[in-house]
Amino acid sequence: MASSDTQWPRFQVFLQEKEGAAHQDVGSVHAPDPELALLNARDVFVRRPDCVSLWVVPADQIFARTAQEIAAGALHEAKKSGKPGSNPETYCIFSKKKSAGTQTFVGEVEARGPVEAMEQALAKFAGAKPPFAWLVFSQRLIVSSTPEDIESMFAPAYEKPFRLATDFHTLTEMRKIMAKQKEEGT
Amino acid sequence: MNADLEKALENYLLAMGDDELILGHRNSEWCGHAPILEEDIAFANIALDEIGHASVWYSLLAELIGEDSQSYPDRLVFFREARDFRNAQVMELPKGDWAFSMLRQYLFDVFENKQLLALSGSAHRPLAEAAAKIRTEEVYHLRHTAAWVRRLGLGTEESNQRLQSALNELWPLTSQLFVHLQDQAVLVSGGYVPGGEKLRQEWENAVVPFLEECGLGVPETGADGDVIIGRDTHTLHLNVLLTEMQSVARLDEQATW
Repeated sequence: MASSDTQWPRFQVFLQEKEGAAHQDVGSVHAPDPELALLNARDVFVRRPDCVSLWVVPADQIFARTAQEIAAGALHEAKKSGKPGSNPETYCIFSKKKSAGTQTFVGEVEARGPVEAMEQALAKFAGAKPPFAWLVFSQRLIVSSTPEDIESMFAPAYEKPFRLATDFHTLTEMRKIMAKQKEEGT
Repeated sequence: MNADLEKALENYLLAMGDDELILGHRNSEWCGHAPILEEDIAFANIALDEIGHASVWYSLLAELIGEDSQSYPDRLVFFREARDFRNAQVMELPKGDWAFSMLRQYLFDVFENKQLLALSGSAHRPLAEAAAKIRTEEVYHLRHTAAWVRRLGLGTEESNQRLQSALNELWPLTSQLFVHLQDQAVLVSGGYVPGGEKLRQEWENAVVPFLEECGLGVPETGADGDVIIGRDTHTLHLNVLLTEMQSVARLDEQATW
């Protein structure tokens, strides 16, 4: 991190809307540590209530490549500079179908490093139409909310509706004022 | 419910509402000025929650005395004078630095968690239900502020010093949270609200060890610095706060928003 960078480390945030749904990448937060990252992620991303689980993962530990980059040899490049671990561990695999899509959890693989994890993901999860991009990280890096947190962290948002623009009667009032002005010839 | 009991409950609800409102307003003053963007959002959310809670208590109060629960809270908030507010003085102090606001919120969060737990068993059913619901939000507040107090206390020399200064200033004023309102005794004996002394014990048992763990020295309780202030006594800070908070509403009392 550059010395002029006074921002805290970045954590990527993954959100699960309901039981059984796949976690999705919703963005990132800066925080001094994983616990505050989780709390901040809740405040930044769970304003609307549909959330049963939140994950935060250090952003610099995430390995992501597009299908295009992979086709151009990105994995070979990464292998050259990286050093695989000796023991296999569980990697979470995310992919997005289109450039404008959202990275969505598709499953897990066992691998000795992110590059190997991505190679396995290509084999296991590509499907009929290979995704536009992939994102992988070791499961051990996840700091997650618990089911017990739902009541205090996520559920309260159901009681706090947004005030939508349509809740304000500005247009109606404006029309009245304009009609009156027209009547009075002003 | 007899007239005395009702009056006592009215006063208790007003005090709770005023605590939430004034503290919520002070917290909202950080909006746009917090040390980091995520905290700006987080603390604004907490402020919103507090103001929402004030609204709940004021609505219960309105229902109790036969006023409209939609409009009466607004009357209480925007059209009362400082001398008619019943918040504890610690709420009206200016926001200070981040350490001050975090610590004030933490001390109040612990208090509220214990108070709301007791109120969930209140003999007044609407109060019990409201308390149970609000408590779920307070659990989260406490997690957030405790995390910050720990990080500031055990952080740098500067963060520890600022937190210690904040504690030295706040500690004597916290005693007011546990002082009974004039007519509170009948509410306590009737099982409507918890007793102040018991609450104080529970609160101290929680905060003292935690603060010491966070590298802070907790001032002596019951020392000469502890002045028993009535909730009808306020500092000029409240006048300044209300002048700003009420200014727009008072431009046109009849305006609909």
